[in-house]
Amino acid sequence: MKQIIAFSAKFGGKLVLNTEFIAEKNGRYFFLNKTLRRFVQEDFYYAGIYLGKAKNGKFFPSFNLLSLIAKSRANKVVIDRKASWLFICGRDIFRKGIVAVQGLRGKNDYTLVMNEHGECLGFGKIVCSLDSAGKDTDIAVRNISDVGDFLRRES
Amino acid sequence: MSSKGFFISRYAQLGWEFKETQLRQAIRTNILNNSGKNLEQRLEATGIQLERIPFLEKGYWVYSSKVSVGATAEYLLGLYSIQEAAAQIPATLFTALRGKIVLDSCAAPGGKTVQLANFMNNNGAIIALDVKRKRLSALSNHLERCHVSNTVVYLLDARHASQLRLKFDRILIDAPCSGNFVTDSNWFKRRTMDDVERNAILQREILTHAASCLSDDGEIVYSTCSMEPEENELNMDWAIRNLGLKIEEINCYGQKGLTNVFGVQLDSSIEKCRRIWPGETQGFFVAKLGKKTVRL
Repeated sequence: MKQIIAFSAKFGGKLVLNTEFIAEKNGRYFFLNKTLRRFVQEDFYYAGIYLGKAKNGKFFPSFNLLSLIAKSRANKVVIDRKASWLFICGRDIFRKGIVAVQGLRGKNDYTLVMNEHGECLGFGKIVCSLDSAGKDTDIAVRNISDVGDFLRRES
Repeated sequence: MSSKGFFISRYAQLGWEFKETQLRQAIRTNILNNSGKNLEQRLEATGIQLERIPFLEKGYWVYSSKVSVGATAEYLLGLYSIQEAAAQIPATLFTALRGKIVLDSCAAPGGKTVQLANFMNNNGAIIALDVKRKRLSALSNHLERCHVSNTVVYLLDARHASQLRLKFDRILIDAPCSGNFVTDSNWFKRRTMDDVERNAILQREILTHAASCLSDDGEIVYSTCSMEPEENELNMDWAIRNLGLKIEEINCYGQKGLTNVFGVQLDSSIEKCRRIWPGETQGFFVAKLGKKTVRL
C-alpha cells in the first residue's frame, strides 16, 4: 500500500484508497468494493481494479491506477494525435507533440501522458524543463510505460 | 465418406445446406469506458469503417480497415473489444443483470465477461472461472484494458464451481465445444464424432454443477459455437430431463432449436433455443434455462 501511495505522490496527486479494500496476491495489488470483498477467497487470481505489482522493491503500476491518479490534480502532459500514436508504440515525446501541461514541468518530474480526449496513455519522465526554450524535435518526456504494453504482453 | 462429407450430410439431415462462409470481423463497444467518445468517428479517422450489426445493440462489423483493429489506440484504451457477432449474443439474453451475482463459468479470454460487466455497469459481482492458467492472463489483461472492476477471477474448473460455496443469480456457460468450420479452416480434417461425444459429456458435467449453484429464481445461459446437436439440443433435452431445469423464451437472432434430431423426438420446449447456422455470423447455439417451479 505504501508503494502505491508513494508512486501516486510522484505525480503530485493525492490518491485516497481505503486499505481495508486492498487485496494483495503474490505482490499484485487489487482494489475491491464492498460487494466484491465478500467474494474474494484466498486463492483468487484477479479481483476488482488491478493497481499494479511490486517486484524486487520496485512498483509497476497498472493502467487502471494511472487512470485513477489522472482523476486527481496530478502532473499531466496532453499530447496531440501523432505524438499519442508514437507514445503508444513506445516512443518518447517530442516537445512539438505537447499541446498542454498541468502541474510540475521541471526536469526529472514524473508526468502522466494524456491524449486530447482526456484518456491516460501512460506515464513518463520530463527530461528537459517544459518552460525552457528548445527545438521542436527535442525529446521532452521519456516514455516509461504506455498502453501499448497490452499488445506487448500478449506477444 | 470423408470427414467433411460426413458432417455435411449430417447438416443436410438437420435441414441446412452447407455453404462456405467467410468470417466477418466484429467489435463491441465498451460502455464502461466509452460514454460519448464518438468511437465510430475516431475509428473512421484511423481508417476503420464500421457497419452496425442490426441484431446487436453495441455490435459493429468491421466493413473495411487499413490498420489492425486490435492495435489502435482506442482498442488499447479499452473503448471496444473484438468479438465475433454471434458470440455477442449470449450475454444479452439475461434479464436484469445489475447488482446480481453472476458466474461466468468458462470465462477466458473474457469477451463475454467484459460484456456482462457492461450490462451490470460494474455493479454486483462476476465470478469468472477458467481451467487453464495461461488463459487467465489473457482474461486479466482484457478486464484491466476495459476497466472492469466487479470481477473476481479464479483458476478453477467449471465442474468444481460448487467449491466456491456460492449461489448465483445468473450463470453463463459458454461451454468448451467442438467449434465450427467458419473459425477453423482445418475443422473438417481435425474433428471426429469422438470429439463431439467427449465435449457433450464435459458440457453435461458443467451443466450439472452449474444447476447445483443456481439460485431458485436464477437463469443459466448456455452457448456453444458447435453445430453438432449432441452439444446443443440433445444436451438441453438431457438437462430438462435430469437437472430440474426448463428452457426459457429468448428473443434473438437465429432459428428455432431442433426438436427432431436424426429421428429422435426431443422436448417441444427445445424450439425456444436458438440455432445459428453459419452465414451472417459463425455457427452458434444459445439457450436460456431456469429452474422448474416445484408445486407443493
